[in-house]
Amino acid sequence: MKLLKFELLKLRKKSRGWLGPILVFVLIMTAFPLTVEILNKDIDQSFLSVLWIATLLVMMLATEDIFLEDFNDGTLEQMAIKHNSLSGVITIKIFVYWLLIGLPISLLGALYGFGITSSADLAIQLIPILMITTYIFLNVFSFGNALSLTKGSILGILITMPLVLPLLVVLGKVVIVINLGMNFLGFLFLLLGILSIIILVLPIIISFVIKAHLE
Amino acid sequence: MIKKFIHQFASPKTYLFQVDRAYPYIFYTSLSIYLVALFWGLFLTSEDFVQGNSYRIIYLHVPASFISQSLYLAMAFASAIFLIWKVKLSAYLVRSIAPIGAITTFIALVSGAIWGIPTWGTWWAWDARIISTLILFIMYLGLISLHDSFTDNEKADKFLAILVIVGSVNIPIIKMSVEWWSTLHQTASITVTEKPAIDPSMLYPLFGSIIGFTGIVVCLVILSSKLQILKREKNKSWVKDYV
Repeated sequence: MKLLKFELLKLRKKSRGWLGPILVFVLIMTAFPLTVEILNKDIDQSFLSVLWIATLLVMMLATEDIFLEDFNDGTLEQMAIKHNSLSGVITIKIFVYWLLIGLPISLLGALYGFGITSSADLAIQLIPILMITTYIFLNVFSFGNALSLTKGSILGILITMPLVLPLLVVLGKVVIVINLGMNFLGFLFLLLGILSIIILVLPIIISFVIKAHLE
Repeated sequence: MIKKFIHQFASPKTYLFQVDRAYPYIFYTSLSIYLVALFWGLFLTSEDFVQGNSYRIIYLHVPASFISQSLYLAMAFASAIFLIWKVKLSAYLVRSIAPIGAITTFIALVSGAIWGIPTWGTWWAWDARIISTLILFIMYLGLISLHDSFTDNEKADKFLAILVIVGSVNIPIIKMSVEWWSTLHQTASITVTEKPAIDPSMLYPLFGSIIGFTGIVVCLVILSSKLQILKREKNKSWVKDYV
């Protein structure tokens, strides 16, 4: 609990870390209707695809230096020694990032969904999907950034992008389901299942990677 | 006993000498199998009713795609061995398989594109199987660049192994992509459990080409791993004797 508060405070003080990605998301979502100068109906169709890609990009941006600062000033090393489970620390760290970046983006995404397609149903459906998706993205990109910790984030993104491909495929299916007005709960549970595996497994792998970096 | 055997074989030195002995046999056998299969497939079988002669690229396309996925599985297997038992040889193997995997994936993509022009009317389609194969290609490149970005080889080996294992979630997706999504690409004609959906006269040369191609690729992997071992163990005294 103390750790959670500490991480929260640390990220909150670093406004570039959390406000930056959110603003980028807002800018992308505001700018995209300008680029499609067609009928409103077509914007509805492309809105969801743009939303997924914008979320993906912003999550990449958000995790860019998730471990780097702590690694450089030695905090990560201290934590690895002090707490006997580094993976717990990492879980909390990612959760904090999700709380300050993923959650606002989910709500904003739903808001944009309502604003652009003016369908309240869609907006409500989007909130849980976005909440789960942002959490998965944060986990996966943190893994990439842990791997390429001292080598810059481009490499991390390059190697983890293929890993989120299956998720993008699922999200593509969600678009179809929502456009047809079908029940999307099945996909929601699928995403939840993916998330629960990832939450359990990836922090352990990330802690393994970070320990290797610290050696 | 098994452990002792593994430790004995897993020494890069023993591996190198054993492999040197086996290499010519594997190479000439698989090359002749592949050439015979190609000759059979290209000249002795009849034309396909729908696709005409264009289907004959199957003797390159199918083996290459099969190998590109199998090599990834082999890498994942070797990575697991490396992470669990710290066998150095398997780390070398992972690194040396990666470029070969990239090449075979590239062959699969290009031969598929060439095959697509006469049969689908397009050389590229944004379809599940093609995209996932392209992703596999990018993954191979990513693995190579991850390993090469570290100067500390031992660290690089560890990270590479972890990434390979995590990345293996994509392999079942590539394999099943033709069945889970409606795509242009046909489903597999040959499966272990069912009767093949391909005529025997085309099936046997196809099997031959798969076996021959696999053997040739194994030879490439052997060469690449030899290079890797010599590069990484260059300070050992036996390497000087070997060279």
